Amino acid sequence: MKALRRVTSLVVAVLVVVAIVTADGYQVYIISLVGLTAMVGIGINILLGLTGQISLGHAGFYAIGAYVGAILTTTYGWSFWVALPLAGLVAGLAGMLLAIPALRVRGPYLAMVTIAFGFVVEQGAAEWKEVTGGWNGIMFIPLPEAFGYTFIERDVALLVAILTVGTVALFARLNASAWGKAMRAVRDSELASRSLGLDPVMIRTAAFTLSAAITGIAGAIFASLTNFISPESFPFLQSILFLLVAIIGGIGTVLGPVVGALVVVLLPEFLSALAEYRLLFVGVLLLVVLVATPRGVVGEIERRFRRIDERPAKAGELDVAGFLSRPGAGDPLVVEALSVSFGGVVAVVEVSLRAEPGAVTSIIGPNGAGKTSVLNLVCGYLRPETGAVRLGERDVTGRPAQSIARTGIARTYQTTQLFENLSVRENLEIALRRGRLGSIVAALAGRAAGDSEARATAESLLAFVGFAGSVEQPASALPHVDKRLVEIARALAIRPAVLLLDEPAAGLGLHDTAGLGRLLRKIADAGVAVVIVEHDMTLVMEISDHVYVLDAGACIADGPPARVRADPLVREAYLGARDFASERRTAAPAAIGERVLEVSELTAGYGAAPVLENINLALRDGEMAAVLGANGAGKSTLMRTVTGLHRAERGRVRLGGGDITSFTANRTARAGLMLVPEGRQVFPELSVVDNIRLGAYTRRDFDDRLEVEAMLERFPQLRARATRRAGLLSGGEQQMLAIARGLVGKPRVLLLDEPSLGLAPALINDLFDVLVELRDEGISILLVDQMAGLALSVADRGYILESGRVVHEGTTTEIRENPALENAYLGGFG
Amino acid sequence: MSASTLITGIGLGSMYGLLALGFYVTYAVSRTVNFAQGSAMMLGAVLTFSFAVTWGWPMWTAILASLALCTAWGVVVERVGVRPFVRRGSDAWLMATVAMGIVLENVVLFTFGKDPRGMPPSPLTTESFYLADIKVQPLQVVIPVAGIAIAVALHWFSHRTRHGRALLAVVQNPDAARLMGIDVTAAIVVTFALSGLFAGVAGILIAPLFIISSTMGTLFGIKAFAVAILGGITNAWGVMVAGLVYGLAEALITSLLGSTYTHIVTFALVIVALAARPHGLFGRAEVKKV
Amino acid sequence: MTRRNHQSSTPFRRGLAIAAATAAVGLLAALPLNAADPVKLGLVAALSGPSAQSGEAITRGLTVAMDEINAAGGILGGRMIELVRRDDESSPPKGVIAARELIFKEEVAAFFGGIDSPVSLAIVPLANKSKVPFMGVWAAATPITRNKADPNYVFRVSAVDAIVDIKLLQYAHSTFGASKIGLMLINNPWGESNERGLLAADAGNDDVEIVGVEKFENNDVDMIPQLTRNKDKGADALVLVTNAPPGAQMMKSRDRMGWDVPVVSHWGISGGRFPELAGPTAGDAHFVQTYSFFGEQGEAGKRVLAALVDKFDNINGPEEVFSPVGTANAYDAMHLLAKAIDQAGSTDGDAIRTALESLGRHEGLIKTYDPPFSAENHDALNENDYIMVRFAGNQISPIE
Repeated sequence: MKALRRVTSLVVAVLVVVAIVTADGYQVYIISLVGLTAMVGIGINILLGLTGQISLGHAGFYAIGAYVGAILTTTYGWSFWVALPLAGLVAGLAGMLLAIPALRVRGPYLAMVTIAFGFVVEQGAAEWKEVTGGWNGIMFIPLPEAFGYTFIERDVALLVAILTVGTVALFARLNASAWGKAMRAVRDSELASRSLGLDPVMIRTAAFTLSAAITGIAGAIFASLTNFISPESFPFLQSILFLLVAIIGGIGTVLGPVVGALVVVLLPEFLSALAEYRLLFVGVLLLVVLVATPRGVVGEIERRFRRIDERPAKAGELDVAGFLSRPGAGDPLVVEALSVSFGGVVAVVEVSLRAEPGAVTSIIGPNGAGKTSVLNLVCGYLRPETGAVRLGERDVTGRPAQSIARTGIARTYQTTQLFENLSVRENLEIALRRGRLGSIVAALAGRAAGDSEARATAESLLAFVGFAGSVEQPASALPHVDKRLVEIARALAIRPAVLLLDEPAAGLGLHDTAGLGRLLRKIADAGVAVVIVEHDMTLVMEISDHVYVLDAGACIADGPPARVRADPLVREAYLGARDFASERRTAAPAAIGERVLEVSELTAGYGAAPVLENINLALRDGEMAAVLGANGAGKSTLMRTVTGLHRAERGRVRLGGGDITSFTANRTARAGLMLVPEGRQVFPELSVVDNIRLGAYTRRDFDDRLEVEAMLERFPQLRARATRRAGLLSGGEQQMLAIARGLVGKPRVLLLDEPSLGLAPALINDLFDVLVELRDEGISILLVDQMAGLALSVADRGYILESGRVVHEGTTTEIRENPALENAYLGGFG
Repeated sequence: MSASTLITGIGLGSMYGLLALGFYVTYAVSRTVNFAQGSAMMLGAVLTFSFAVTWGWPMWTAILASLALCTAWGVVVERVGVRPFVRRGSDAWLMATVAMGIVLENVVLFTFGKDPRGMPPSPLTTESFYLADIKVQPLQVVIPVAGIAIAVALHWFSHRTRHGRALLAVVQNPDAARLMGIDVTAAIVVTFALSGLFAGVAGILIAPLFIISSTMGTLFGIKAFAVAILGGITNAWGVMVAGLVYGLAEALITSLLGSTYTHIVTFALVIVALAARPHGLFGRAEVKKV
Repeated sequence: MTRRNHQSSTPFRRGLAIAAATAAVGLLAALPLNAADPVKLGLVAALSGPSAQSGEAITRGLTVAMDEINAAGGILGGRMIELVRRDDESSPPKGVIAARELIFKEEVAAFFGGIDSPVSLAIVPLANKSKVPFMGVWAAATPITRNKADPNYVFRVSAVDAIVDIKLLQYAHSTFGASKIGLMLINNPWGESNERGLLAADAGNDDVEIVGVEKFENNDVDMIPQLTRNKDKGADALVLVTNAPPGAQMMKSRDRMGWDVPVVSHWGISGGRFPELAGPTAGDAHFVQTYSFFGEQGEAGKRVLAALVDKFDNINGPEEVFSPVGTANAYDAMHLLAKAIDQAGSTDGDAIRTALESLGRHEGLIKTYDPPFSAENHDALNENDYIMVRFAGNQISPIE
C-alpha cells in the first residue's frame, strides 16, 4: 500500500514536471495559478477543515501577501527570497489580529467579519496610495532571482509546484499532529475540549495565523508571477472562489484543495472560448459539482475506498491503576456554599459537598433540581456567584474550564460530547496531552514525540473501561454504550484526581448499567474521587459511598445511601406526597370504547442500536393510560416516534383506525394527535393567547374569542398573564399553557410527556388536578411521567418500559402492587 | 451633512433594511439564507424595466408581474440551492446560492443586455417639491416610507394572522410547531418566497435612483448582509434599524471623508461592532445547553 | 474557428458555433502551418459588465474594417485576419490574464485594447516585455503610449488625456465663460491620469482656475456631497471624467440638488446609454468625441455606416450607432495595423512595430493620417481631431 502510494506520487511528480517543462507561456502561468490556488485552499482547509471556521475574506490575506512582496521587491528593491517569508509573516500577523474579533463570533457572524475584512483590505490598498499605488496598482514586480540568475515563469511554476507539495505535506503533518487533533477537537466540541485542558482561543488563533501565513506566501508569489497587482486583483469573488476550492475538493481532506484548485482554475480555462458566456457555465457547473459530491471530490473518493482497521484495543502493559494514581491524587474535591442563578431564577443555592478520593459520591434529585449546574460550576463552565471550589488545598473557583481541567478535574456529559469526527484513538490521544500541545513548529516539521507511547496508553485505557470496538473508527459511528465508555476513558486520559460523570447510565440497559457500576467502582478504587449525577437509583444505591440529594437547587439531604433512602423529604421529592386513592375514578367511566390509538411492533432508534423495540400499546376512547419507566428507558423516544417527530424503523401506529405511521409530525397533529411535549416548549416570544391560538392552527372551525376565553376560564392562572410573553411565565404556568395549547386543538388523543418535570410539589398537585378533570371529561390521554405514583393514581391503565421494551402492562392497581415498578424507579426504595 | 444627503441615506438605509429582512426571514426559520440576495433584487429591477419599458406594459402590471417572478425565484433558490444541502446537513448551501446568483446575473446579462439601463423619468423623479429650502423628489420620500411600511406589514402579518403566527412558531421552536400541525418545510418555502419578494420590492424601488444592470445588486446584497448581521439577524426590528443606521453612517462618512473612504470605514465599523457585540447590535446570544 | 463565430449575435448561433468550434479545435491543432492560416489579432475589452457596450462598439468597428480587408484578399499574400476576443470585465488583473492568454496561447500578431484605461495601463508592460504590438482604440490615459519603454510596442488611435484636458478647460471658458472649475473625477487610474492632466492644463491656462477636486466611486448612488463641496468653493463649471453610469448618477444628483451648473465632460459618458441613464438633463453635458456619424459624411463615413446598417440588425442609422468613437477609432486602427503587417511582411512583433512607425499616408474614417505614427509619437490623433458634442435626445450632435 505504502509502496503503491510512493509510486503514484513519483508518477504524478514526473507528470507535473513534464507538464511544466513542455507547457507554453500561458499554460505555465495557469499551472502556477493552480498551485497557488491550491495553497490558499489548504490555508482555508486548516481553518474550515480543522477548526470549522468559515472565511469569506481570504482574498484579503492573499492581497496582503502580494502587496508586501510587491512593495518590498519594487519600492525597496529587496530580494524576493527575503520578501517571501516576510509576506507570510505579515499576513500571518494580520490573521492573528483578525482572530481577535473573529473568535468572538460564529457562523454567519464570522462570515460577515471575514467579508468585511476582505473589503477593508481591498479598499485600503486602493486608498493608501503612497505605498500601494492606489487603483493603479504596482507594476513591474520582478521575478525571483537566485545567484545572478533571473527566473522565468517556468522556474516560478516549478517553485510553486514544490511549495504546493510542501504545503500539502505540511497539512498532512498538522492534521496528524496533536495540534491538528486539538483543532478538530475544538471544532467538534468546544466544551469537551476545554474540559480536557485545551484552550480553544489559542488553538483557533493558531489556525487563523497559519492559514493566513500560507495564503500570504501564495499571494507574494502571485504578485511576482503576474508582474502586476492592483486592488482589483483581490475582489470579493476571489474569496468565494478560494472557499469553493476547499469545498469542492473536500473539507478536511489532504488532497482536496489540490483537486479543488484544478477544478476552479482549469474549468474557466476550458471554457475560455465561450468568452463572455464563461461565468454562466462556471456557475452552472459549480452547482452541479456541489450537488453531486456532498463531501467534495476527494472526500467522496475517500469514503468509497476507506477501510477501517477493525482491530480492538490492546490492553498492553500499562498499569492503569498506577497511571491513575498520579502525584497529587489523594486530594478531595471540596465545594463550599456554591450559588448561581440564571436571569433571576436561582438554579443552585448554597450547595456544599465533599468528594473523597477512592470513593463514589452521588448527586441525586428530580429533574431540574440543579444537579448538572453543580457539575458545570465545579468544572468551570459556569462562574459561581458565591462559594468556592477547591481541589485539596488549591482554590480553583472561577478559573476557566481548561485551567481547572489541567489541575485534574475531568468530566463526562449527559449527552456524550465525544469529538465525533475523530477516531476513538484520537479522542484519547488528544486528552492524554492535558492541554500541552508542544511547539506548533515541531508539529509541522513532523517531529512530534511520543506518538507510539500515547497510542499504547490510549489503547490500555480503552481496554480498561471495557471498550471492545475498533479503535480506528470515528467516534460518531459508535453505539450509545460505547460512546459512554469512550467518554469515560477519555476523561481518565487526563489522569484526573476527580472524575465528574453526568448521568452516565442514561440510555443504558440493565446489563450495561451493571458493567458501568463495576467500572466506576474500579476507577474509585484506583484513588480517583468519582462524582456522579444519576437517576438510576439501583446503580446509585449500589456503588455510592455518599449521596447528596438536591431539590430546587438546594441540598435537602446527604449521607450514606441507606440513610438517604429512608429520609422522608427525599421520598416526597421523588414520589410526591399525595394520597393517591382519592384520585381514582370514582365510577368506572361510562364512555370507554374503541381503541383510538394503537401502536404495534414499533421499533425506532438513532443510528446504531434501537432505542425502542417491538412496542405494543393501545389506548381506548375516553381512557387515560400511563407509560412509566426510568430515565433513558425510551419514553420520550416513544412519544416522538408516535407523533412523527422521529421516524419509526418498523411497526405501525394507527389513530382511529387510520394508519399514521409514515406521517410527519404536522400531519399527525392534523389527524388529531396532540403532544404536550417534554419541557413544555411553549413559544417563548409569543403571548399566552397567541400560544393558545397556535394550538388550534389546524382547526378550521376555531372560534377565536370563545375558545380562547374557555381556556382562560379553565386555567385561571393564565388569565392574568394573557398578553404577556410565554417565556416570562413560571414553569407551572408554562405547563398549563402547554396543556391549554394542546386541548384547544380538540385532539382525539392527547399525549403528555413528563408534565410534572421540574415543577415544585404544590404545582404538581395543581397539575394532577387538571389531569383528573380532563380524564373525567372523557378525553383520551396517554401520559408519560416520572412521578410514577401520581401517574398511576390518576390513570386507568399503565405500561412499564425498560430498555426500550414494554416489560409489563395492566391496570394501575395491578402495577402498583407489582414490585418491579418501584424497582425500576427507585432501586428498591422503601 | 446636507439635508438631501440625509434623505438619501435614510432611503438607501431602508432599502438595505428591506433586503436584510429577506435574510432575516429565512435565517430565523431555517438557519439558511440566499447569499445572493442582491441578485434577486437585481431581478426585480430588471424585470420591471423589461416589462414596463421594453414591452410597454402598464407600470402596475409590470410591477406585480416582477414581484410574482421574484417570489418564484425565491422558491427556486430554496428548492435547488438550499434544500438539497440542508437535507444532508451540509453548509454548502452558501456556495450553492452564490452559484445561483452568478447564473442569474449571467442569464440576465444575455437576455436583458449588457449595457446598463435607466428607468424613464416619472412623476416620482420629476415632480420635485421644496421642503423648507431643500429640493425633494417624491421618490426620496416614497422609498423609506415603503420600506418601513413593508416592515410594519411583515410585523402585522406575523403577529395578527394565523399563518404569520405559524411562521413565528417555527422560528421559536420548529419541533413544537410541527406538533401544532404546522408544515415546517412549507414554512421555509414561504420564507424564501418572502425573501424574494422583499428583494424584488427593493429592486423596484431603487431602480429609478440607480442604474439597472445585471451587476447592480452585488454590492448592495453584501451591504444588506452586513445590515442583517449587525441587526442580529434574528430580530426583525433590529435588522430594519440597523439598515437605517448603516445608510445614515454611509451618508455621514461620504459627507465628512468623501465616498472613497465609505467602504473602508463602514466595513471596519462592522468588524468593530461585531467584536464588541458578537450577536449583532440588537441580537441575543443563543443559549446552548450542556 | 471562423471569424463569423465571434460576430454572431444570438446566443443560439453562438452556442452552435461553440460546439462546432470545440470539435474544430482538435482538427486545427493537427494541421501544419501554411500560408492560408489566418493572422490572429486579439481584442481585450469589456465584453460584460457596465461598460460592455464599449466592447461591442469596438468589435463593430474592427469587424467592419476586417471584413473589408478580408474581402479584398486579406494580408500577407492572401491570409485572412481572424479576431480573437477576450473579456476583461473592466478589471485590470483580468485584462492582464486575458492579454497573457492572447499572446502566449492564441499567439496573436498584435492586439487591441478597450475603454478602460486602468486595464490598458496594466497590459502595457506585458505587451512591451513580450514584444507584441498593442493598439489602443479608446482608453485615453496619457501614460498608455507615453510609457518610457524603449522600444515601445504600444500605439493608439484615440484621444490622449493630456491633450483632451487642455481642450476641456479651454472649452469651459470659451463656451460658458467659466473661470472657476470644479472637477468631478472617477476614483480610478483614469481619473488620476486626468487629475494630473487637468492640473497641468490649469497651470498653462490663465483664464481658468481649478477650485475643487472631488472623486466618486463607480457604485455611488448619491453624489450630492461632492457636488455641494464644489458648489461651496464657487465652481461655475464642472469638468467630468468618468464612464456613462456614474456620469449619469452625477447628472441626476446635480438635478436633485437643483444646481444648473454647466458640465464639460471627457468622452467616457458616451460609452453607454447616457441619455436614458441620466434622464432629462443628459443634454446639459458637453463632451469630447473624435468622430460623429451625424451630419455630412465623407466617402469613408458613408461606406462604414452602410456596412454597419447592413451587418447589424439593430442599426438602421447614425442614431443607433452607440459609442461612435469606439467604432470609428477601431475601424481606423484595424486598417492601420493591417497595413503595417502587410508592410512588415511578417507577423513578427518587432517588424510590425517598425512598420507602424514608418507607415505612409492613410486615408481613414476620422481623418487622413499623414503619417499616422512616428518613432517618437505613437498617438495617431491630436487636438485638431477632437470635436465637442452633446446629446440631443438619443443622438450625439456636434456643437458648432
